[in-house]
Amino acid sequence: MASVRSNKNIELMTYSEVTDVSGYVGSFKVSVKQKPRYVDITKCTGCGTCQEKCPMKTDNAFDAGLGKRKAIYTPFPQAVPNVPVIDPAVCTFFLKGKCRACEKFCEAKAIDFNQKEKIAELEVGNIIITTGFDSFDPSVMVQFGYGQYDNVITGVQFERMSNASGPTDGKIMLKDGSPPQSVAILHCIGSRDKNYHQYCSRVCCMYSLKFAHLLREKVPEATVYQLYIDMRCAGSGYEEFYERIQEEGVNFIRGKAGEITDMAEAPEEQGKLMVIVEDTLVRRKRRLPVDMVVLSTALEPRADAESVAKTFSLSRKADGFFLEKHPKLDPVATTTDGVFIAGCCQGPKDIPDTVAQASAAAARVLSMISKGSVQIESATAVVDEELCSGCRICNDLCSYNAITFDEEKKVSHINEALCKGCGTCVAACPSGAITGRHFTTEQIMSEIEGVLV
Amino acid sequence: MSFEPKIVGILCNWCSYAGADLAGTSRKKYAPNVRIVRVMCSGRVEPGFILKAFQKGADGVLVCG
Ligand SMILES: Cc1cc2nc3c(=O)[nH]c(=O)nc-3n(C[C@H](O)[C@H](O)[C@H](O)COP(=O)(O)OP(=O)(O)OC[C@H]3O[C@@H](n4cnc5c(N)ncnc54)[C@H](O)[C@@H]3O)c2cc1C
Ligand code: SF4
Ligand code: SF4
Repeated sequence: MASVRSNKNIELMTYSEVTDVSGYVGSFKVSVKQKPRYVDITKCTGCGTCQEKCPMKTDNAFDAGLGKRKAIYTPFPQAVPNVPVIDPAVCTFFLKGKCRACEKFCEAKAIDFNQKEKIAELEVGNIIITTGFDSFDPSVMVQFGYGQYDNVITGVQFERMSNASGPTDGKIMLKDGSPPQSVAILHCIGSRDKNYHQYCSRVCCMYSLKFAHLLREKVPEATVYQLYIDMRCAGSGYEEFYERIQEEGVNFIRGKAGEITDMAEAPEEQGKLMVIVEDTLVRRKRRLPVDMVVLSTALEPRADAESVAKTFSLSRKADGFFLEKHPKLDPVATTTDGVFIAGCCQGPKDIPDTVAQASAAAARVLSMISKGSVQIESATAVVDEELCSGCRICNDLCSYNAITFDEEKKVSHINEALCKGCGTCVAACPSGAITGRHFTTEQIMSEIEGVLV
Repeated sequence: MSFEPKIVGILCNWCSYAGADLAGTSRKKYAPNVRIVRVMCSGRVEPGFILKAFQKGADGVLVCG
């Protein structure tokens, strides 16, 4: 990200959202809403004084509720740009009109409470969408007690906990600060489950193995269980990693946990979280006493996927992720020419696959830029100016706004870059002036005759 | 002999034609007496197409889109 920001050919717009897109491949017009961060990005030195002095605290969403942040904050230390933002929902100046501590202590005079939302209008030739995924919220699966038991956490929370610059400085710990003696990692939470998501989230087997490895490294005395339906370790070096974790002494149990409870049935179960599971390899129900449970939750479409799809004229698959033009032959293009997708917004995948797709999308765009022209579909409609009576019936019928009226010649004109070749205008023209290339009336009539032979 | 109707299916490229294609790649069968003509949109269908099909002996015409 830092090198993206410093590249002079790339304009990085953070804290911004695309609100409107019009036009077509080679000539899109994009409106971008830039939210006010109340800090002047050109003056701020990133010293962090404001964050120290700010009196208001709240949960840091980036730490998945494990850590706190101030009202003026950078979500994590490596954030690009290293310029904080003021959260008006927490800042006392916005709430009560008093404080301005950050402004007082900022030596660079970078705080600017008068910043307003701005709309930037951009002209671009192509668009690549990489909006990623949301993590499944496991609190709906009440049998696992997420939100009820302190030490039932999600994969994202474990990830933040094991991060050296995270809320616990990289220490794996229970709510009370002590290290866990035993940890169960539960696979497929919300994935491969007809009640939630039928698909396999593809990355959780591997990140669960990574968690086991991190636990072995950071808390070597802890017992670690992996509860899986089956292990899916397809990828370069992945099966080898699985074997290595088995050799590191992690316990693998084939079974999906049915319940997590703190109700002890025996003295040794006191104070423990009991994971109840059918071990399908030994055909026995087991009760595993553990201190911490990690739920490896599904990757799901982002909550705003529908509105993003509308803005960029994308379609979505039955599972809610964005639809590619062809699952095998054109996996990064979409049915809208010039709009590409990459990464988890298209479906769950790991970082190597995300990078491969993103590189492919970038290459597709670069090839168009270097050619200087774009190739469009040949199956478009064309108006015969001699036959057009100028009735304008077609003008409002086109769903793609491809038809304009030439006031001078008094005839309709079709923009081939916008035309999708649907042929609605062809069927509607009372003068028979429009031809649908590759789908002419003669061709279709002959086909109908042909299928009835 | 039982009656086997001849049906002409005029299908939209993006939905129903793609569906027929998917049936093929998923190794699913659909009735072979539906004979398919692909159009880029059901909006392309002119009344003449339907009359032509009946004139040439179709028992039914299915327009999907
Ligand atoms: C717990 C966990 C552990 C994992 N561990 C690994 C691992 O060890 N190795 C591995 O290879 N993979 C791992 N993965 C998978 C990895 O996270 C994904 O492959 C990767 O994040 C996908 O990248 P992405 O860019 O597609 O999406 P994301 O990382 O989700 O990034 C999308 C970005 O787009 C932004 N965005 C979304 N909507 C908009 C919008 N409308 N406007 C502007 N910006 C927007 C988001 O804020 C976000 O910054 C793990 C996943 C999880 C859940
Ligand atoms: S806003 Fe001011 S105090 Fe805060 S990090 Fe930037 S320069 Fe430092
Ligand atoms: S990757 Fe593994 S844990 Fe994740 S859904 Fe698929 S099988 Fe379950």
